[in-house]
Amino acid sequence: MSAVRIINGRVLDPANGESGVVRDVVIDGGRIVDAKGFTGATETIDARGGVVMAGAIDIHSHIAGGKSNITRLLMVEEQRANREPAGDFCGCGGGLSTMTAHATGCRYAEMGYTAVFEPAMVAANARHMHAEMKDIPFLDTGGYVVLGNDDFLLDLISSGAGQQAVNDYVAWQLAATKAMAVKIVNPGGINAFKFNQRRLDLDEANPHYEITPRTILTTLIKAVTELGLAHPIHLHGCNLGVPGNEDTTLATIAATEGLPLHMTHVQFHSYGTEGDKKFSSGAAKIAEAVNANPNISIDVGQVMFGQTVTASADLMSQHRNRGIASPKRWIGMDMEMDAACGIVPFVYKEKSFVNALQWAIGLELFLLVEDPWRIFLTTDHPNGAPFTTYPHLIRLLMDKDFRDEHFARLPKAVRKHSIVGELKREYTLEEIAIVTRAAPAKILGFKDRGHLGAGAVGDVVIYRDDPDREAMFTKADYVLKNGQVIVKDGEIVSVAYGQTHQVAPDYDTGIETKLDRWFDEAMGFKAKTFKIADDEIRDGQGAVTHATTRSA
Amino acid sequence: MAEMTSHDVVCPFCGIGCDDVTLTVDGAAVTAAKGTCGRAAELFARSGAPAPSARVAGKDVSFEEAVAEAAKRLDASKTIAYAGLGTDVDGVRAVLKLAAKTGGSVDHYASEGMFRNLASSQRKGWVATTFAEVRNRCDLFVVVGPDPSKAYHRVYERVLPATGRFVEGPRRVVFLGGAPTEDAKSQLEGLSVEIIATPEGGLVDALSQLSALVAGSVPPGASPDIKALAEALKAARYGVLAWSAASLDDDGDLVIERAVSVVDTLNVTTRAACLPLSGKDNLTGAYHATLWNIGFPLRVGFRDGVSDHDQTAYATANAVKGADLVVWTSAFRPELPPESSAAVIALSHPDTVFDTEPDVFIPVGQPGLDHQGLAFRADSVVGLPLRRHRDAGLKSVADVVTLISEARA
Repeated sequence: MSAVRIINGRVLDPANGESGVVRDVVIDGGRIVDAKGFTGATETIDARGGVVMAGAIDIHSHIAGGKSNITRLLMVEEQRANREPAGDFCGCGGGLSTMTAHATGCRYAEMGYTAVFEPAMVAANARHMHAEMKDIPFLDTGGYVVLGNDDFLLDLISSGAGQQAVNDYVAWQLAATKAMAVKIVNPGGINAFKFNQRRLDLDEANPHYEITPRTILTTLIKAVTELGLAHPIHLHGCNLGVPGNEDTTLATIAATEGLPLHMTHVQFHSYGTEGDKKFSSGAAKIAEAVNANPNISIDVGQVMFGQTVTASADLMSQHRNRGIASPKRWIGMDMEMDAACGIVPFVYKEKSFVNALQWAIGLELFLLVEDPWRIFLTTDHPNGAPFTTYPHLIRLLMDKDFRDEHFARLPKAVRKHSIVGELKREYTLEEIAIVTRAAPAKILGFKDRGHLGAGAVGDVVIYRDDPDREAMFTKADYVLKNGQVIVKDGEIVSVAYGQTHQVAPDYDTGIETKLDRWFDEAMGFKAKTFKIADDEIRDGQGAVTHATTRSA
Repeated sequence: MAEMTSHDVVCPFCGIGCDDVTLTVDGAAVTAAKGTCGRAAELFARSGAPAPSARVAGKDVSFEEAVAEAAKRLDASKTIAYAGLGTDVDGVRAVLKLAAKTGGSVDHYASEGMFRNLASSQRKGWVATTFAEVRNRCDLFVVVGPDPSKAYHRVYERVLPATGRFVEGPRRVVFLGGAPTEDAKSQLEGLSVEIIATPEGGLVDALSQLSALVAGSVPPGASPDIKALAEALKAARYGVLAWSAASLDDDGDLVIERAVSVVDTLNVTTRAACLPLSGKDNLTGAYHATLWNIGFPLRVGFRDGVSDHDQTAYATANAVKGADLVVWTSAFRPELPPESSAAVIALSHPDTVFDTEPDVFIPVGQPGLDHQGLAFRADSVVGLPLRRHRDAGLKSVADVVTLISEARA
């Protein structure tokens, strides 16, 4: 493959402090090189009138694994309504909130995304998730292993095994499941539901282990900090979707005592109980707390109107929501002394007070959190909406008139309860580049992604600088993956496959004796069967192991 | 070549996923010992005789000639039924890719039971569980219909050991409308085992009664046994209703729907779950890979490059009626292709003895013996890593299908 020189484009590279400077970007051998010093032959792409950015990175999108398959199973009519014929680069994919592996890669690539992370990889299901990711083209991928409801961990904590044993176990799980980070879903709550407990607040005890979500959270925050993982604990907190959960969210921020924590789909955790309907926006309070605590980062989980499917490991919450399933069907599963899953199809309605306020709460968070390096653009695909709504969301953030127009359509009661109309902030292009590229790379610890400096991978996007930002971000003019043009004029023109990112901090192998016994006795199969071998990841090709500060 | 012994080999056949098999390999000869049930020992065993040659119209040909002939036949066919699908996940991927190019239907030969399950889960959903949850939590295990251990030999040993981590006192096992085999009884020794008989064809009624009783009403004619079972389920900490969908009668769909409803109601006040078993020869892996690649569960059809799903039209039994070519894959066991008037390309287990010689026969390796691969456990969640344990010169289904696809005009 010859080198590629992109000329005349306005380069937006916040990680390197470049905000619209016109310069050449050269990719050689799959990596960005110093354009001025490069003298070899190149293919040239003229990006005049365009904006050049690094490939976008989504840190939270449910794209693979058993729960994605359940969404497809439950929503066959959606699959039928969104069929993609097989072509040179496509493969009979389909779906929207239930996209196939192939369609997921295509739709993300067309928008300029080149890396997407599955944030809820249940350890027992990790082998499935990796097999599915192998079939997603164009994207670098990785998974966050779900811990915090696994009986082995809860037993370790409640029996007083100590932080070191927890750290060793967490490191073992990361290695065994080939994970990139640690996710906690409703700490202790999924487990408590298996013992028939229906709610679990931050300081309520698990009925069996008698430990609280706070203890689980702080223990795991310490573990990933001491193991030296770049990405902090990725937390889906307690009481998802429950009115009044703003207090839990604020208490959770306080519980970190300054240690790093990423709180995910915070829109679903920012609810107050004010007003006639006992449902109100807690966004201002949450944003204030995020602004005041530099150790906290969030992604929003923006809600958009229309049909989707909610998919979560949080069976406690999903069982509570089963009555509002639309269409009326849902699937729940307890999984392997590990976690669970709950899939509930759902329609967000513009005329519904609660749904419309959810939409507004998400936007309030986006507009009130000041530091774009600590807030991430997500819809929690497919929970808040399919990821294909990102361009619309970007326009809502960048264009106040457009936002006000949409806000004006909401029921009066909602407008009375939201400050969206009063918020004047408009995201700049540079801020969009931060929330979709530079900041995700930084929070995942990538040194060679999310920017356009020499040495970065050749994942580069050229957007037409269209005043209609929704149109601009819907279809990129060019997308290059490792220097190969995969999208031209918004259409896929060639196929490339990404890599799987993981971490593997070292640990005291003494923990393995305990785990061997645990698997033999409790799980009923062997720990060595559970552990995923290197050659199982993309057929032994394309795995990238990131150093952790402790092992580095 | 020296004899090699592999321990803790994963068994891929029935979907229970036992991983304590010991295989002794001497050249191409394989003996399975400790850990295997009789069925698996038989399926793993190989005589050591060299694999048969590929054949076209019954005549030995080179592998390349067989591939070329298969490609030619695919090109010449108008309606193709891809059947069998007894292969690892990579094999399924390859068949789906080829089917998308040639058109035709795709189904797994053992999918009938799975579709009884899907009839409920796809339409209404359910609360399900996995083996380790049952093993540690289940205090009341209800077997709905015929004993699943006939197909899943070591199921009780795997999911119902005498003690469970969170189970106080002896577990109760109730056979509703079925009875344990002698083998099952020995696996369940030490547990409290009861049988609630139902009249012939009366399982749906029994479950309807159970469903009404757990919901709080008393249906007329409810038997005392069913009443007692309903009370026991309501009082259980984690009740499980398990069934082998393939062994249910024609009214299996209704049986499953009622069982799902019982579990749904129980979860309002206590915890309960279904354990729907189906998964012979990586049926579950085929189902999953089809969902994530095509968007539909199995029984998909491709026409003009667009796929669709129809549980009836694309079922093998119906698809072969209108097909002029059947592409049969069966890598786990010497299963025979369906009878039809269509031509047959068989990518089959080397020991297959055909009633009717296929037009093209290419012997293929077994996942988990001849090559590595991925299969899924019958509870749908856990993937089973299959490893290579011998070299008998047999290619995987994925490799053969890819070569045939590349050889097409």
